[in-house]
Amino acid sequence: MEPTLYDRELKKGSTEFLVLALLEHEPRHGYELSKLIASRSRGVVRLHVASLYPLLYRLERRGWISGRWVEKPRQRRRRYYRLTPVGATVLDDQRRSWVAFVGAINRITRLGHA
Amino acid sequence: MPDWTGEIRRRLAPLALAPEREVEIVQEITQHLDDCYGDALARGATPAVALEQALVELEGSDALAVALRGVERPAIPPAPIGGAGSPAGPLAMVAQDVRYALRGLRQRPGFSVLAILTLALGIGATTTLFGVVDAVLLRPLPFPHPEQLITFFGTAPEKRLTEVAYTEGLFQVFHDRSRSMQSMAAFDTWGTTLTGYGDPERLDLGLVSTDFFTVLGTRPLLGRTFMPDDAKSDTATVAIIGHALWRRRFGADSGVVGRTILLNNLPTLVIGVMPAGFDYPDKSEVWMPLRLHATTFNCWCLNTVARLAPHQTADQARVEIDRISDAFAASRRDIFPDYRPGGSGGTVAMSLLQRTVGNVRLPLIVVLAAGGFVLLIACANIATLLLARAAARQRELSVRCCLGASRRRIAAQLLTESLVLSCSGAAGGILLSIWGIGALRHLGPDTVPRIDQVSVDPRVLGFGIALALVTGALFGLAPALRASRVDLQLTLKDGGRASTSGGSRRLSDVFVVAQFAVSLVLLISAGLTLRSFRNLLALDPGYRVQHVVVARVPVPYPRYANDTVVRQFYDRLLEGVRSIPGVRAVGIADLVPLSPGNTQNNVIAEGQEPRTGEPVLVANIRGVTPQYFEAIGTPLRAGRTFTDGDRVGAPRVAVVDESFAHHFWPGDNPLGKRFHYGGDTTAGRWITVVGVVPNVKHGALDETPSLQVYEPFAQNTRWNDYLVVRSMRSPAELVPALRAKLATLDPLIPLYDVRTMQAALDHSLAARRITDVLLLVFALAALLLAAIGIYGVVSISVNARVQEFGVRLALGAQTRDLLGMVLRQGVLLAGLGVAFGLLGAFWLTRSLESLLFGVRRFDAPTLAAGVVVLTAASLGASLGPARRAARADVVRALKAE
Repeated sequence: MEPTLYDRELKKGSTEFLVLALLEHEPRHGYELSKLIASRSRGVVRLHVASLYPLLYRLERRGWISGRWVEKPRQRRRRYYRLTPVGATVLDDQRRSWVAFVGAINRITRLGHA
Repeated sequence: MPDWTGEIRRRLAPLALAPEREVEIVQEITQHLDDCYGDALARGATPAVALEQALVELEGSDALAVALRGVERPAIPPAPIGGAGSPAGPLAMVAQDVRYALRGLRQRPGFSVLAILTLALGIGATTTLFGVVDAVLLRPLPFPHPEQLITFFGTAPEKRLTEVAYTEGLFQVFHDRSRSMQSMAAFDTWGTTLTGYGDPERLDLGLVSTDFFTVLGTRPLLGRTFMPDDAKSDTATVAIIGHALWRRRFGADSGVVGRTILLNNLPTLVIGVMPAGFDYPDKSEVWMPLRLHATTFNCWCLNTVARLAPHQTADQARVEIDRISDAFAASRRDIFPDYRPGGSGGTVAMSLLQRTVGNVRLPLIVVLAAGGFVLLIACANIATLLLARAAARQRELSVRCCLGASRRRIAAQLLTESLVLSCSGAAGGILLSIWGIGALRHLGPDTVPRIDQVSVDPRVLGFGIALALVTGALFGLAPALRASRVDLQLTLKDGGRASTSGGSRRLSDVFVVAQFAVSLVLLISAGLTLRSFRNLLALDPGYRVQHVVVARVPVPYPRYANDTVVRQFYDRLLEGVRSIPGVRAVGIADLVPLSPGNTQNNVIAEGQEPRTGEPVLVANIRGVTPQYFEAIGTPLRAGRTFTDGDRVGAPRVAVVDESFAHHFWPGDNPLGKRFHYGGDTTAGRWITVVGVVPNVKHGALDETPSLQVYEPFAQNTRWNDYLVVRSMRSPAELVPALRAKLATLDPLIPLYDVRTMQAALDHSLAARRITDVLLLVFALAALLLAAIGIYGVVSISVNARVQEFGVRLALGAQTRDLLGMVLRQGVLLAGLGVAFGLLGAFWLTRSLESLLFGVRRFDAPTLAAGVVVLTAASLGASLGPARRAARADVVRALKAE
């Protein structure tokens, strides 16, 4: 099924938030991020290479995350991203407004059914 | 594992990333696709399915590039089509413009080299001259708070004296009564002979009042400066020596302080050494205390230097000195019998800097202005070339406009091109000025004061760079503004034929007219100063400079204690020198022409005693031996010169110059007439005129003649005189012979200031010669540039009209007609330039007036010559393009139509 405009807008606004949230506790590389997003959203949200990496680079350029090449034994060189202190603040802000937004939507939609 | 790199690179290609960044992204995405592919295989997919799943990650073929475009910066910016919404910042935009400009310059080497050379010459000349003006005129004197330092002196216009020094008594009065100056010192300059340390050496001596160094604020390097007790007559003689002398004669030994040396054969205690560079006044190397007597009013020979009190100006000091002089003269009629109330209003006070720089100020500014004019012409020239280029590039600019470049963007880019051009020119110009300043420094410190201090310092460099920016803006602005106003439809439709619009042609015409106007001003200025120079050279100075060597021979007091001993020494010297083979004539004079100093006295002719309050005239007084006139080459007009019989005890006689004779006895025979000096009331005061000689230019060739009296040396003996030798031998042979002869008479007397009169004359003209040569060079450069300018403009217009000419020929026009048409254009422009130039010359040559000699500033031959040269240049420059017009190809022209 083709994604609707509504889906696309929703996804565009939320992917930054998702990536920041997934990096909150530990550094991760790009493939790991894409797999986590797909699995935790049960396939509803998928980030392909052509969207994920431009997004990561943009966040990095803004100084919200920082990437570093890491070599581990018996593994290939991978680029790991971690949340910067600025990114942590942004994440807090986004989380607060998301909770407020979702609450408001819920209140409205429940009210609609009442 | 499949190789994804090629695919990823292909998708990144439109971004033109920096190689290292591209490698990083390729690596990261490859890793991702490897993981994807590996996982799919692990889930049991076939390699083909796994490959497909991995490639899905890359989405559409341009998805990656589109998503990255706003994030990643390209390594090489796209060619400057100058889209308005260019993502790069302003700095990147400038860098991009600069690169594009450099590429453009490389593509047109002929234009670039011509423009850069023109600019390098203009900027180089102007920067060099600025360096000179800065070091000579602008840089403060090397004393603390130099702006407070002034000097003042009197004038006596009624006696034709432009400068009168002060007596000891009068200076003391100023010193005690002045409130506008916090401190004040007096000085006189002398010479002294150092003996006892190798060869005797003549040194310039500053005889200074004890607070001299306090006024200037300079501390000694070693020891101390003078204290009031040093000037008391019962104390030992003390001296302070200069840095150069300390190094040269005492090996920079700090033990010299406290040592006694022999100056003029007198034991003198050295009490201090001044720091390097301190040589005020007049390149002094030794300073001795001046003993001031408040009651001495006979020698008007003291110069002053003073430090203004806070918030006082030189003018306030002048008014105060006038007031003090007036009050004092009124109260001491015994000293000032000629005093008239308010008669002392002739004080001149000026900053010490102004005094030091003296009369080179105007010539320097004139030459700097001329250099600036040449630079302006160069700018106009390049602006014309750029206009022509902009016209040829109209299609390119139109395409850029169509692709979305704003007019501002295009103007900014064209302006950058001009600035790149001017900065390249400035780099060449600064190199030129380093060379030029080096050359100017070699002129020697005597031609222009402080010229030895000229250097390429940060100020001069800053000036050069500022000049580059200003000129770049100047010649770039008009073409940039004009070119940015592109008519898209017209140009594109026109097929980009290099046609200049009427507007830009008019602008080029204005530039050419301006160039010709400025060139004419420069040509006329150079012509006028050259004529002045020629007039000076053609002038009869009253003596013949060829084959004459002069040198000073000082006799030291007190070893030579009286006139008789001195005369005997000089007589023996004359006799000795006369015996040198090749010597034609030899004389002694207390002063020779073109040497510093002057002795003057009031003169009163018999029967012409001035009434009270009437000014008494002043004449220069020289003491000379009988053969002096022959040695220096001054012919006798009437009567006789001196003989050995004119000595002490014989009647006092004098030879006077024609001015003197004419002034006192116009139309009458001056021989046998008598005069005496002011203040001399003795019975033997009368001096009889026995001969008349022509007027002699004493100080400089362009001076107005003053009255001159020659007395027999035997009746007017001085201690420090010039030996004047006319000889057929070269100075290289003669001078050692003179030294040897002197050494046999007295080995402790040095021969110094040795020079030929020809060298003295050249030296006196050096500053003027430099000014004239520079003006001429600038005028010729201006003419050349103006000719190139007119050639360029006519050439461009001929190129643009070549079809029209072809059609005209087809319609029956003669080659002659076309030639005439084009030449008329050139001559018309030049004619307009000449008209404006004459107006400019009328206004600007006023500042030249004081530099002119024997020529008025509206000198018809000079004006006419300037006009003829310019018109000829314009005709010559238009001839080439005119010939091209006449050879227009009829067939091609008609085909194009």
